[in-house]
Amino acid sequence: MSSNTVDTDQMDSQLTTSGETAEDIEDAWSDYQFQGEAKLSVEDLDVYYGDEQAIQSVSMNIPEESVTALIGPSGCGKSTFLRCLNRMNDRISSARVEGSVEFDGENIYGGRTNLVELRKRIGMVFQAPNPFPKSIKDNISYGPRKHGDLETGLLPSLLGRDDTAEEMDLVERCLKQAALWDEVNDRLDDNALGLSGGQQQRLCIARCLAVDPDVILMDEPASALDPIATAKIEDLIEQLAEEYTVVVVTHNMQQAARISDQTAVFLTGGELVEYDDTEKIFENPESQRVDDYITGKFG
Amino acid sequence: MTTLRTEVAEMGALVTERLSLALDALAGDEAAAHRVVEGDEAVNQTYVAIENRCLDLFALQQPVASDLRIVAASFKIITDLERIGDLASNLGTYALTEQRSSVPEIDVVALATDVQTMVDDAMTAYVERDVDACYALAERDDAVDANGLRASEQLVRALIEREDITDAWSVERVLDDVSRLLLTVRDLERIGDHAVNIAARTAYMVDSDRTLIY
Repeated sequence: MSSNTVDTDQMDSQLTTSGETAEDIEDAWSDYQFQGEAKLSVEDLDVYYGDEQAIQSVSMNIPEESVTALIGPSGCGKSTFLRCLNRMNDRISSARVEGSVEFDGENIYGGRTNLVELRKRIGMVFQAPNPFPKSIKDNISYGPRKHGDLETGLLPSLLGRDDTAEEMDLVERCLKQAALWDEVNDRLDDNALGLSGGQQQRLCIARCLAVDPDVILMDEPASALDPIATAKIEDLIEQLAEEYTVVVVTHNMQQAARISDQTAVFLTGGELVEYDDTEKIFENPESQRVDDYITGKFG
Repeated sequence: MTTLRTEVAEMGALVTERLSLALDALAGDEAAAHRVVEGDEAVNQTYVAIENRCLDLFALQQPVASDLRIVAASFKIITDLERIGDLASNLGTYALTEQRSSVPEIDVVALATDVQTMVDDAMTAYVERDVDACYALAERDDAVDANGLRASEQLVRALIEREDITDAWSVERVLDDVSRLLLTVRDLERIGDHAVNIAARTAYMVDSDRTLIY
């Protein structure tokens, strides 16, 4: 059975000793077809940090309006993969990305991508809550106001227009979507850093929603939270998937099993070993290595 | 997980032993009949203990993949084993009831031997994780069902065709005997079905193969 205290380095080395080849397993699940359209389509993605390869020729389609979980041991490349989906790896000078990631059919690694626009449409929520040291209200409206957003009606203040009503509509809508409104609506001008960890994380999700994204990437969004706050985040993720495409990296396999529609299992060296419906992965995975990893046998 | 499988195998051995006593009882061994009627408590206790172990595993270990299938299949299989234990007790009770009329000779011992072998084989398939054996066993159940049906028809036909039953006292005795024999045949047939259930859950446990469950 699984153990949370296993030495992941040792685990990684054991995971490579299985006799099965990547081709054998990929043959079994590569025809995996999910319901609905692919929002993100990744083709032959390789990522290098200097000379070291972190992602090896990964191809997968991520369906819209669903939750896709990325699981695997530490260092398997799942966070690296997540960050490729909105080009966050561009910020790491030694990182080199090859292959393509199509977002609504457009390669985001093509030459004409506007990175600000891309990251607006593919937002990100990080492991540790990182609200701005501003009021709860300002955390929501900062992005649209800073960049000017016709859809929300929030334009840079230099236009000199009173957009308070639009701002309040936006703040209320986003906080309600993030299941935070009832807890903070009487103190919107309080500093966000005074909220609990779970509330801060939901505020970060609300902040992400404020710029009207299509896709929300989450990197271990509940790992720093207690079980009650975690349950709230998990409920929220499931609700968000009715409208948004959610991709979530998690170390917590039960969390992946609870909240995701499909699960991708990465193992040593950035290899995508299996990708399928979550029920299939957790009940009857094709790969013995995946079975060994999720049952904690690593052999 | 290994402990769970060992415990289920041990429960299987306990139930097979009781089935063996039931078979001796049907063959006329009165002592065996008393033992099988009185000895169901051990099976029930084992059943509850394994059920608790499964619940603990679900709650505390949250098994997935092959581990999940072992716990889920074992959880179902012990119910079948417990029912087989109950049916073995029934057979002992039937065997202890004195036959008071002349009814056709039905070879219940042959039928009992067939289903006892099926339960044995089902538990061997579980222990050895042998899916082929599960399929082979499921096919054998058709013959057991056919033999059971034939025996029941033979009894009822003989009852209909009898002309020597005239007084109410004779009617009651014959009905008692025929009903008991029909129940014996039905319980044996049910044991065969439980053996197939065990095989079906074993195939699911090993290969996630649900074919035999449906």
